[in-house]
Amino acid sequence: MHTPPEEHPVRAALSFHNISAIYIFVIMFIVFSVWIPEKFLQPGVWRSLLDAEALTGLAAIAALLPLVAGSLNLAVGAQVGFCAILSAFLLSKAGLPIALQLPAVVLAGALIGYLTALVITRLRVEPIIATLGMSSVLLAGMAWVSGSQQILDLGPDYRRIATTQFGGVTVPVYVLLVVAVVTWYVLERTPVGRRMYAAGYNPEAARLAGVDVARLKTGTLVAGGAIAALAGALLTSRINAGDPTVGPSFLLPALTAVFLGSTQFRRGRFNVWGTLVAMYVLAVGIKGLQLGGSPRWVNDLFYGLALLLAVALSQWEKRSARRR
Amino acid sequence: MADGLAPALLRVTDLVKTFPGLTALDHVSLEVRGGEVVAVVGHNGSGKSTLVKILAGAYAADGGAVVTEEGTELHFIHQDLALIGELTAVENLALYKSPDPDRACELVGRFGPVFDIEAPVRDLTPAQRAVVAISRALDGWTHPANVVVLDESTESLHKTEVDVLFDAVRRLAADGAGVVFVSHRLDEVLTLADRVVVLRDGRKVADEPVATLGHGRLVELITGGQAAMAHTHETTVRDGDPVLTVRGLRGGTVEHLDLDLRPGEIVGVAGVLGSGREALPSLLYGAASGAADELTVSGAPYPRRSPGGSLSRGIAFVPGDRARHGSVRDLTARENLTLPQLRTLTGRFGNLSARREHAEADRLFTTYQVRPARPEQRFALFSGGNQQKIVMARALRDDPAVLLLDEPTQGVDIGAKAAIYDAVESAAAAGTAVLVSSSDAKELLRLCDRVLVLRDGRCAAVLTGTDLTEHRLVTEGYGLS
Repeated sequence: MHTPPEEHPVRAALSFHNISAIYIFVIMFIVFSVWIPEKFLQPGVWRSLLDAEALTGLAAIAALLPLVAGSLNLAVGAQVGFCAILSAFLLSKAGLPIALQLPAVVLAGALIGYLTALVITRLRVEPIIATLGMSSVLLAGMAWVSGSQQILDLGPDYRRIATTQFGGVTVPVYVLLVVAVVTWYVLERTPVGRRMYAAGYNPEAARLAGVDVARLKTGTLVAGGAIAALAGALLTSRINAGDPTVGPSFLLPALTAVFLGSTQFRRGRFNVWGTLVAMYVLAVGIKGLQLGGSPRWVNDLFYGLALLLAVALSQWEKRSARRR
Repeated sequence: MADGLAPALLRVTDLVKTFPGLTALDHVSLEVRGGEVVAVVGHNGSGKSTLVKILAGAYAADGGAVVTEEGTELHFIHQDLALIGELTAVENLALYKSPDPDRACELVGRFGPVFDIEAPVRDLTPAQRAVVAISRALDGWTHPANVVVLDESTESLHKTEVDVLFDAVRRLAADGAGVVFVSHRLDEVLTLADRVVVLRDGRKVADEPVATLGHGRLVELITGGQAAMAHTHETTVRDGDPVLTVRGLRGGTVEHLDLDLRPGEIVGVAGVLGSGREALPSLLYGAASGAADELTVSGAPYPRRSPGGSLSRGIAFVPGDRARHGSVRDLTARENLTLPQLRTLTGRFGNLSARREHAEADRLFTTYQVRPARPEQRFALFSGGNQQKIVMARALRDDPAVLLLDEPTQGVDIGAKAAIYDAVESAAAAGTAVLVSSSDAKELLRLCDRVLVLRDGRCAAVLTGTDLTEHRLVTEGYGLS
């Protein structure tokens, strides 16, 4: 029988197909370095980028987990926002100490994920609709808790969580790194992760192979909710206020990173490192455009187009894999 | 009946169609004249559905020609009727035109009393739906000399409803239309047709007026005579304790079934579509919902069946639809092989041992001769036969006590077929109890110690030893004995 030759492993790993985001990064780096070197090539710019985008990274992983098991979560932004407001509320209005406030917020995030899962698995509402509805409910909750105003007076200590540095790198970056490593380990190195991918790709076949698809979906939404809550708590610490307007804007960058990330490294599979690389590459693009003097709306345009392109790219990847 | 003077509206000459490893149609010719009902019969794999697909234009023929009389159109009524359930009869009749209730009333009225044509067609009876489908096929004829192809259209109909449809068909033929009636219901063929064309293994073996044929002769033509296909499996009688016992099993098309499976025996399940044959394996596995009066596995009761529960009791299942149910096409072969049982590959930190998993995949690839020998290749990229080998290897990986197979060699080339039969037989020799549900009579003769023939959801006969012939499988399946 004729068998086609296997691709050379190193060449395949370095191909544009496999790591397009890194090639795009190199191109953008060169363009911005030539265009606006005095602004773009500053260490401070890069450090603040690393720090600011760590929260987007957490939101992206919060969206990634459910998506691996087949649920598209459109409520990620609202989850981050609600938990950010809740963090501020528990500190300033309820007067909870940080040692109680942080666990309470993470628990609340997990509970939100669990409720979403119940709607999806018990009431059989499509994930996209369930999370859209949940998103609106959370936005209402945010407005109610905050009275649609910033919550200030968080005390002097809370701000330090997100601003403390170790070796020139802030705490949120370390948090992201830990969450990413744990997520990578679960997804790629454990039976649970394998079953999650199977459930996401073909729920019926996974069920026939003995996988409890509903339980897995619930687990990913609960874990995603807890991670989104962590992002919310750090957000409030970082801006030293509970701001009801910031959270929802995390949704688009997070989803874009997850979909673009799926075209990186793992041949169309949603994965952690692809997600983070894609997210930082997109952030560098935005930063460069802002430093070059582009107006704010370019943000939305950039992420919107990037999301469309990323999903189109992952579809193309699927089709080309089928032809091969 | 055609008197030889009516013109041939449809002429099929020397039609050839080959698929990799299979000649589906081998120089098949037939003619349909105006006023004539021609039945096309044959077993699964005889080529009748390929013939219909070529007539409908879904496949291109490799050789031969399909010629129609000047101005003659071909109209099809397919098995699923191709109606849109949410739309009303009026809307279904006017998919490409503006809806016209009066016209719809007139069309439907030709076939008996008019029913509620403004209700969604999914709320109609199967017979009413068939009337809608046939009305649509007959709409817009400018002259009666067209050809209607009924492709297993009576599948979902009850006896009385079939009569309604047949009246309509006879009326059409009387007006001068030609009718091609594809069916496996021999009673209906003998009732309706003027002439019968029998296909076997892609060749036309008979083209005779119905008057010269009886049940017996027709079955002989379909199966190729009794002598040609005898039971080739060496029957082994097992009298150990059953590993799986079920009483009063029901669910889906299965009405009531008792079954004992003993270690080492291979039990076949035969029957026409809708007899319960296709529902039995997934019902036993717990993939489809159903109930049983009593179900024990190795002597212990197994009350609430589920795939997970079945796997942990050593019951493995190979679904008939390997692409949708048997595999995750975007995972690698290795990942598909190990998915149902990952615990044995788990290391100290709850991690999957990559080394043990790769070794396991390599072992299965070698044992079941999967080609190409690349466990890291995506499942979707393997050929059909090798995909099926992977699915079989996965089911046999942990030496199951019971193996449930649904159409284990459907769409598989001859080489892979032999490999799969070997795998089934060596599993049985090692003590696995095997249940094979198959629409392929030759497969059951080749593999099984005994065969349950199902009809209307119940066991119509148990065939074994010298009784186990293709002839008996067919007659019991159709209820002709």
